[in-house]
Amino acid sequence: MKRNVLVVVAVLVVLSLAANAGTISGKVSGVAGESVVYVEAPAGKTFPAPTQQPVIDQKGLMFHPHIVVVQQGTTVEFLNSDSVAHNVFWISIGGNKKLGHNMGTWPKGEKRPFKFDNPGAVPLLCNVHPEMSGYVVVAPTAYFALTDKSGEYKIENVPDGSYKVTAWHEGAKNQTKPVAVAGDSKADFTLSK
Amino acid sequence: MDTRQRVSLFFAFIFTVVLLTGSSYAIPAFSRQYGTSCSTCHVNFPKLNDFGKAFKDAGFKFPKDDETFIKVPPVMLGAPAQAELWPHTIFPGTIPGLPPIGLRFNTFFQVLGKNRHNFNLQLPAGQVGPFIPRTDFQPGLFSIFMAGNFGSDIAFWVDDDISVGGSGASGGLGDGYLKFVNIGRFFKLPANVLSMRVGQFELDLPFSPARSWNLSGWDIYDQANIGTSSQNVNNSFALSSAAQGVEFSGGHTYRGYHYSVAVVNQNTSGSSASPANVSPQVGFVSDSNFKDLYGRFSYRFNLERDPASRNETQAAGATGPRDHTYLTLGTLYFYGRSVQRATGVESDGTTKTVITAREPFYRVGADFSFNYRKLNLFGQYLVGRDHNLIPLTPEGFELPVGFIRSNPVKFNGGFVEADYMIHPWLMAIMRWDGVTSSADRINGIGADAGNPPPSPFLSPFRSARNRFTPGVQVLIHANIKTSFEYQIRPQQIVYDPATGNAITNPFRTNSAVAGLEWVY
Repeated sequence: MKRNVLVVVAVLVVLSLAANAGTISGKVSGVAGESVVYVEAPAGKTFPAPTQQPVIDQKGLMFHPHIVVVQQGTTVEFLNSDSVAHNVFWISIGGNKKLGHNMGTWPKGEKRPFKFDNPGAVPLLCNVHPEMSGYVVVAPTAYFALTDKSGEYKIENVPDGSYKVTAWHEGAKNQTKPVAVAGDSKADFTLSK
Repeated sequence: MDTRQRVSLFFAFIFTVVLLTGSSYAIPAFSRQYGTSCSTCHVNFPKLNDFGKAFKDAGFKFPKDDETFIKVPPVMLGAPAQAELWPHTIFPGTIPGLPPIGLRFNTFFQVLGKNRHNFNLQLPAGQVGPFIPRTDFQPGLFSIFMAGNFGSDIAFWVDDDISVGGSGASGGLGDGYLKFVNIGRFFKLPANVLSMRVGQFELDLPFSPARSWNLSGWDIYDQANIGTSSQNVNNSFALSSAAQGVEFSGGHTYRGYHYSVAVVNQNTSGSSASPANVSPQVGFVSDSNFKDLYGRFSYRFNLERDPASRNETQAAGATGPRDHTYLTLGTLYFYGRSVQRATGVESDGTTKTVITAREPFYRVGADFSFNYRKLNLFGQYLVGRDHNLIPLTPEGFELPVGFIRSNPVKFNGGFVEADYMIHPWLMAIMRWDGVTSSADRINGIGADAGNPPPSPFLSPFRSARNRFTPGVQVLIHANIKTSFEYQIRPQQIVYDPATGNAITNPFRTNSAVAGLEWVY
């Protein structure tokens, strides 16, 4: 009997959530390649940091993947898979140069973690291989997506409501626009450099 | 315009150029192949950093896991499994997937001091010396260089200065060699103790004149040994000369020991033969049967406190990999036998080589290089000595019949240079070059060493030539560089050896040189 009640409650909770959560989808155009779209944090609302720790690898003198999107508060691990020395540093986060940081040097096979507590784009660089380039885009909420190469994206499980949604692309100006989410919503962006 | 204004204008020009240019990276042969910037291997091209030295030592490959870094896959000249069929098949190799071609061009502008014609004052009356312009724009060299690895640890290098001698002139081969890296493995020797290089190459000098980053070369490496008029030595060999032969080497240039031993052509006269009676007819580079010998040994002490970092190619700095703090000590020795063929006219009127002097000579030197963070201090000291055999023509003989040994012809000198990287794109240089030689003693007049003139301290009688060269180099991009150096030469005066009276005003000329070069 007790078990049946729990199942019913769970089903009701799921149905209730599904009824109040929608998606934001659309296309980022004006630029080529992958972009990032994320929902800005509503005033006064915070999101618990996730426990997953994505890994950015340095392999063949490149950052893999080139762009990683994480929620604010996420710890990212930086791996060196090359048999040459690398380092990882960034001069700013979201354009704020006070948040620049240098992670130093570590040998092949080792990882170093860093917790990103501030939102914004983090341009990753290596001081001995200046051609190396990568990005961590720190989103202020759990609602974000990396577009495919054609610019299409879909952010799921966004609670109904009114938000500001921002599109970011490497080397382009960010674009932010208001989006009202009620079920499936559309938001297209056209970025320029 | 005073000096301060001129200096300000110069730096304003450089600053403007830097600001007006966007960002891009160099793409010569290795850059293209590995998809990486020049600065992976160079501090300030062509000066190598520690990784560049390791790359070169390994035969133009990444020291470890080379294949994982190549962005353009090589073309297979045979499947790797074919190796197991050898000797019943050609051993498989590779060629670079892209033609491994790099190009380099440089151009210069120089300004000479007002006293540039003073040396002409010692010429006999009626003889006019060469006119030397106050300023001059000079096209430099357009060079093509190709390098890479053919697989099986066989590396190659060919570079040629296409534009030598002006428009339409034939080019000059720089280096052209194959290097068989780590052949010691065939003899069960430890790794990297034995490699072999064959072809034409610059001697394994501590600091490469052929790939120097300075606008002007290090004087001591260009020093030939020319005797005075009373000496029978006219040895045109200089350490910077290209050598043809075979070289065995081992160790590393970025840590521990390094050695090389080379057997190369003897040619101190600068002449060569092209006889018609040797088939197939080829030209000759040697001017005698003897082959010269060259050896070098160096040891580099990496001084990092962390033992793990000390043994790596680059040191693990707190803010990223960097060149080690190190001290390298080295020595070099060259032994040759200069040939002087004395010709004479016999009583029947024919001219022929009547006697040949084989004059042993050596060059011996010591060098050091100390690196600490952004500062690299290095130097070379070198001594040269040639036996001096004077043809002996006894009374009653028309032609010389033998030699008598006379005072050897010597020179010595060297340089000390400090390079400081103010920024990764800005290098300041201070350098001293000094050479004391007989060749300088005969600058214009024969000197009487036994009757030296009074002061000034520096004069041709002392046969010393000094040069202080402050400079600055600016990387506009990783592959475009502008350089400036001011060559300060302490003044010297030519004296009449008979009277001791000065017959020239100070003639050593200061000069300012600006250069612009790019590789692509």
